[in-house]
Parts: sequence; structure tokens; C-alpha cells
Amino acid sequence: MLKWFRDIRSNLNTWTVLSIVFVGLILLPSLSIILQFSAETNENWNHIKEFMLDTYIVNSVILVLFVGLFSAIIGSSLAWLISAYDFPLRRFFQWGLILPLAIPPYIGAYTYHGILNYTGVIQTTLRNQWDVTVNQQYFNIMNMPGAIFIFVIFLFPYVFTITKAFLARQSTSLVENARILGTSSWRIYFKIVLPIARASIVAGVSLVILEVLNDYGVVKYYGIQTFTTAIFQTWFGLGDLGSAIKLSGTLMLLILGLIVLERILRGRKRFSFTTTKVTLLQPVKLKGRSKWLAFSYCMFIFTIAFIIPFIQLIYWAFLTYEQGFSTEFLQVIGNTVFVAFAAAAMITVMAVVISNISRLNRGLIAKVFPKVTILGYSIPGAVIAVGIVSLFIGIDEVIYQWGWASSYILSTSIVMLIFAYIVRYLAVAYNSIDSGFERIGIHFTEASRMLGNNVTKSFFKVDVKLIRGAIFGGFILAFIDILKELPLTLILRPFNFETLATNAFNYATNEMIHEAAIPSILIVCISAISIYFFHYVLERE
Amino acid sequence: MFVHIRDLHFKYPNADDHSLEAFNLTIQKGEITTVLGESGSGKSTLLRLIAGLEMPTKGNIMVGDHCMCSQSKFVQPEKRGVGMVFQDYALFPHMKVEENIKFGLQKWSRREKKTRLNEVIELVNLKGFEKRYPYELSGGQQQRVALARALAPKPKLLLFDEPFSNLDADLQFKIREELRKILKTTGVTSIFVTHDQDDAQALADQIVILRNGKIIETGSPSKIFGTDCDISERLAVKPRVLSKL
Ligand SMILES: Nc1ncnc2c1ncn2[C@@H]1O[C@H](COP(=O)(O)OP(=O)(O)OP(=O)(O)O)[C@@H](O)[C@H]1O
Ligand SMILES: [Mg+2]
Repeated sequence: MLKWFRDIRSNLNTWTVLSIVFVGLILLPSLSIILQFSAETNENWNHIKEFMLDTYIVNSVILVLFVGLFSAIIGSSLAWLISAYDFPLRRFFQWGLILPLAIPPYIGAYTYHGILNYTGVIQTTLRNQWDVTVNQQYFNIMNMPGAIFIFVIFLFPYVFTITKAFLARQSTSLVENARILGTSSWRIYFKIVLPIARASIVAGVSLVILEVLNDYGVVKYYGIQTFTTAIFQTWFGLGDLGSAIKLSGTLMLLILGLIVLERILRGRKRFSFTTTKVTLLQPVKLKGRSKWLAFSYCMFIFTIAFIIPFIQLIYWAFLTYEQGFSTEFLQVIGNTVFVAFAAAAMITVMAVVISNISRLNRGLIAKVFPKVTILGYSIPGAVIAVGIVSLFIGIDEVIYQWGWASSYILSTSIVMLIFAYIVRYLAVAYNSIDSGFERIGIHFTEASRMLGNNVTKSFFKVDVKLIRGAIFGGFILAFIDILKELPLTLILRPFNFETLATNAFNYATNEMIHEAAIPSILIVCISAISIYFFHYVLERE
Repeated sequence: MFVHIRDLHFKYPNADDHSLEAFNLTIQKGEITTVLGESGSGKSTLLRLIAGLEMPTKGNIMVGDHCMCSQSKFVQPEKRGVGMVFQDYALFPHMKVEENIKFGLQKWSRREKKTRLNEVIELVNLKGFEKRYPYELSGGQQQRVALARALAPKPKLLLFDEPFSNLDADLQFKIREELRKILKTTGVTSIFVTHDQDDAQALADQIVILRNGKIIETGSPSKIFGTDCDISERLAVKPRVLSKL
């Protein structure tokens, strides 16, 4: 009893209290959904359940399955080529093949539609140059296969980067042995690479799947009914928050199942070697035909996943560049930078606090907090939005009833949007900061404490100075993600509040694709620069 | 007695066995105690418990006249007045040698800091290296900076976690002699952890032999090394059952 009291007291400091508060805040929206999930059903919900729910589930599952499969194939094969072989432009492809991530799928979706439709560059050229009119059916991308195509080419880099990092460091001895034994490249790929890299491929694919389930822009634009579009519809179309909550809860259950499945597929961590000496896999120089085959494969993917949409966007942007100087557009940029900066700054502070306490603590906190922190990233934006709105409306009702305010103040303010960004993107900054802490270890902090500084002083005098890079990196990553974010922003933004993402998407859905180009190209360029910076500049250091 | 440890128990939350069990130790003021044990015997764990970096599951620790740890009390490491030299030195890489050494002197006046800096620099024989960064020093020099940094705030008790393990044999021999001289000049009570018999023999007033987290033997060097027989046998660790594999 005494001892229990002693343990609590000596663990209780500002850091612990703050992190408990932060983690509590992050959990609130999910709790709000869980609590209201079993509320009484209404007619809408019965209708949805009877006639619609199957479609949502089937469509979501088809998307997840095919996008997962193709991005696994493309991502892992590219990763293998780049880590094991040397061919023209290999060094460029190492980070160039990550660039498609700079194009958010919803931007890619309307760009490709713009390229392929009747007035697009391909059909116009065919008509004007060769007088060929094609069957529209073959050029229609706004369907399920089209959506799968879009998701795959803009999301496969998740699989590519994670698998590449793994293969470059961890596969050396196995692959080199196989090479010495004269095993053919295909056999090495299927018999060695795929099995040992399974955990990384699964990890990459699950990121892809989470993005697919989070998406609203692509499926809405291409007219595919999924959970996210359904949540939007029941809520904005029918004004039925209760049913939206039920849909969200169902989707959360689905994701929970996926996470369990991922754990099983990933298997036990059998292949994380304990040797500290890392030998990098030496790429073999390809000759003759295979050299050009490898190059063409990489070049082909890079072209359709980055060059084509990028050039198209630039071209459109030139057609509409005056619009870029309008005051409304500058306002949009100002809004975007403001919310992204505010949310990313708060995210960074919270991530630092939680990460620091988790590494200093040996008990429950160290086990649970990191998991809760990254939870938000696996919950789709629309679901977080539903949770947050129901929560804030609840709070507002209390405030209103007690007469503290004459109207609903919280649920109509920017606070709600920023809070939502924090819940969803805390994980992004957390991962960066946590790996920074992991790299420096705990000895510097302990040395500082042995010299008379408490945890807080040690943090500001020692830790911060040593992980500056990771903290800054975490901030930038969160900032960029928020910049691109669509579903949360669409739902939670205050009246008349536009960001670059909503601006671009609204133009596109109103068939003003050319006008959508300028906000899109801004998003793409900022993301591309950050990718260049993180994967090229930092990796070389 | 100056340091008094009674019935100390400790288990890492994720481990199956106790890393330290029923540990008792008494040290007189100004004495150098060496804890000798194989890798994994719990030496670092012991130091971390004394330093306050881990919380024991059971047992008391007294340093000077103060209770550092008991059933109802736990003093945070920064409040203990105990110094520590880490196995990897843990010199702050972003600070110069002088900043590293002055790091523990924050409450001192500027003048006092300067005097103390010169004193300890003199003591560890590092004159002229004040403005260098840790990575610009050799292993032996880094080790001496770590010692100077730990000595500077005049700790009641100084802990060493295998500070020689990163040095080559020649240097080890020289530094061992030097360290004993320095410790005896300052009169600081110290606990020194090592797996090297020669270290123990050359430095210690008292030796404790640790195996699998339990004390096997305690005594003066002459008592322990007095008999001719090789002590490595007594030291040897019975391999633990690797049940988890
Ligand atoms: N963080 C930890 N979590 C779980 N078990 C640990 C941890 N650190 C050490 N142990 C275990 O506690 C026991 C004692 O470890 P300790 O580090 O004190 O040994 P040591 O005598 O310092 O060894 P070395 O000479 O290799 O430094 C070992 O069995 C070790 O596996
Ligand atoms: Mg040790």
C-alpha cells in the first residue's frame, strides 16, 4: 500500500499529467462514437442497413483488396529492383519513385479524368490530328477499375519505401548467399525476397489501405459508393448524425478487423536481426536487355504516376494563372497555412510530451500511450469528423443550457477543425520524434539528471538540442499532411472557410478542372519539395 | 558507515527473473568498493538503483545520513547528490569540454564555477582541452572528461559503470593508477563496477562478487585474492536456462 503510493507519487509530474490529458483528448472522438453506436435506430438507418450497407461494404472491400494487391506487387518489385540491381537512373529512382505520394489521389483522380475525357488532350489530339473519334467507353476512367488505378499509382510508394529500407539493410546475407549459389533473379525474388520482406510489405500495404478507406475525394468524384461517401450523404444529405455515427462505428469495426488481420499476416518478427553491424546490399550491375527492361519498368511507373499528371496540371495552371493573384485565392493560401501551422505546432508539442514520457516510463504508460497516439491515423477522416462533431455539439449544448453562450460556439468554430487535425495526424509527428529519441538513447538524459537537472530541465538543455532535426521533421510532415487533407476539412471547416484542398476539389467537382490546377499544383510542389528533402537530402547525410 | 543498502530487490517489468535479489552492502566513507561480476550479473542494474534511475521492488538505500529509498520514500536521481560515470561516458555532444564539466554546477556563481572547472581540469590532467568538443578527443581523454564532469558538483558518492571497457589494455593500466590517486585525493566514496579482476584488485578497498543478481562473496582484496586459487571459477556464471528460446 505504502509502496503503491510511493510509486504513484514519484511518477507523477507535469509530463505525466500533460500526456494523460493529451491522450484523453485524442480518445474522446472515438469514445463518442462507441458510446452512441448502440443508440436507438431510426428509419434512415434501417433503410441504409437494408438496402445500402451491403453495397458500401462490397465496394470498400473490392477497393481495399485490389489496391492492396497491386500496390504490393508494384511496390515490392520496384523496391527489389532498386535495392538489388544497378541500371540507368537508379539513383534518381530511389527517391523519384516516392514522388507520386506528392500528388494526393483526389487530385490525381480529376487530372486523369481531365486527360482522358472528351475534351481532354488525348481525344482532342486524336480528333484534330487524325480525325479519329474513339468509343467513350474505353476512355472512361470514372468507375471502379479507374479508382483502383488511381489509388495504386499514387499510393504504391508506401510499400516501395518501407520494403526498400528493409531490403537494403536486412537482406544482405540471404540474398548474397543465394547469388553465390547461382539462384536466378526471379527465384530469389519469389523464394527469398517476398518471404523475408513480408512484414514490411504488409506494413506498407496497410498504410495504403488506411489511405483508401480514408479517401473521400476519389470515390466521390468517380461516383463510387463507399463508407465515406455514405457518411457524407447521410449527414449532409439527410441531416442524420445518428446514422452517420452508426456507419462510422461499422467502419471502425471493419478497420479493427483489418488491424487484427495485419498482425496475423505480419507474423512474428523473425527476421529482425540482432547484429548491430549493418551491411548494405550491394547492387549488381545489369547488362544488355535486362538493363533496359529494368529501366523501362521504373520509367513507365514514374511517368504515369508523376510526370503525366504533373505536366498536365502545370499546363492547366498556365491557362488560368491570373486567378492565382486574386485576393480570394491569397486568402485561401493564408487560411491553409494558418490552420496547418497551428495544428502542426500543437501536434509537435503533444508528440514530444507523449514520446518523452513514454520512453522515461517503464510501466503502463510506456506500453499504452504510443499505441493510443497512433490510433488516430488508422481512423478515416470522415469518422473522426463525425466523432468530433457529436462531441462538440454535446459540449455546446451544455454550454448553451448553462447560459454561458447564446449560440453554439465551439461546433461552428475553427477549434473543431484544428482538433480533428490533431487527432488524425499526431501519429505522423510522433513517429518522427519517437525515432529521434530512440536514436539518442536515454543515457544523455540520465547523465543530465545525475548532474542535478530534473526531467524538464534535462529536456530543454539536452534532449531538445539533440533531436532538433527529428522534431522539425515531425512538424513538417504533419504540416504537409494537413495541407493536403480533404475529408476532415470538407466536413469541419467553418462556413466560407476554404483551404487549398477544398478549393481544388470544389473546382473539380464543378467541372472547372482548369481552375483546380493552381491550388493543386501548389499542394503537389510543396509536398514534392518535402519528399525530396526527406528522402534525398536527409538520407545522404 | 556511509552507504547502507539493505535487502534490495529488483526486477525489470518485462523480465522473468529478478535482476538483483536480496542485495546487502555497507561502505565506509572514502572507501572504494568494486563490484565484480560477469556480463549480465546485474552490475549496471545495481548502480542504476543506487542512482535512482530505477525503482526497487523492495529494500532500502541510505547514502550519508539520508534515506534515498524505502517502502514509503523515493528520492529522484537529481536530488540524490550521487554522481555517475557511464559506460559510454554520455558526454553531451553539443557542448564543449568546459560546458560539459560546468553542466552540474548550475546553482553555483560564475566565479565559483570557474574555479571549480580549473580545479577538476587540473585533477584529471586535461589542461588545454577546455574548448574542444567531445568528438575531438581520444577515448582516454573522453573518459577523463566524464570523470571531471561527475566530480565537479562534489557528489557524496560516485558510481562508475565499467569506465575502462572502451579503452585498450595499456591505457587501462595507466588510468587505473591515476583514478585511484584522484579518488583518494578527493576523498570521495565510490562504487566501481567491472568484470575485470585486475581492475578490482588495483582499485578496491572492498570487493563484492556478484553472480546472477546475488552476492557470492564480500571482502578486502587480500581476502578475496589472497588464496592462490583462480577466482575465475568462483566468478563463472552458471548459464541461465534459456527458456524463452
Ligand atoms: N531494460 C531491461 N529490461 C529487461 N531486462 C534487463 C534490462 N536491462 C538489463 N536486464 C537484465 O538484467 C540482468 C542484469 O543486467 P545488467 O545490465 O545489470 O548486467 P551487467 O552486469 O551490467 O552486464 P554487462 O557487464 O554486460 O554490462 C540481465 O539478465 C539483463 O538481461
Ligand atoms: Mg552493464
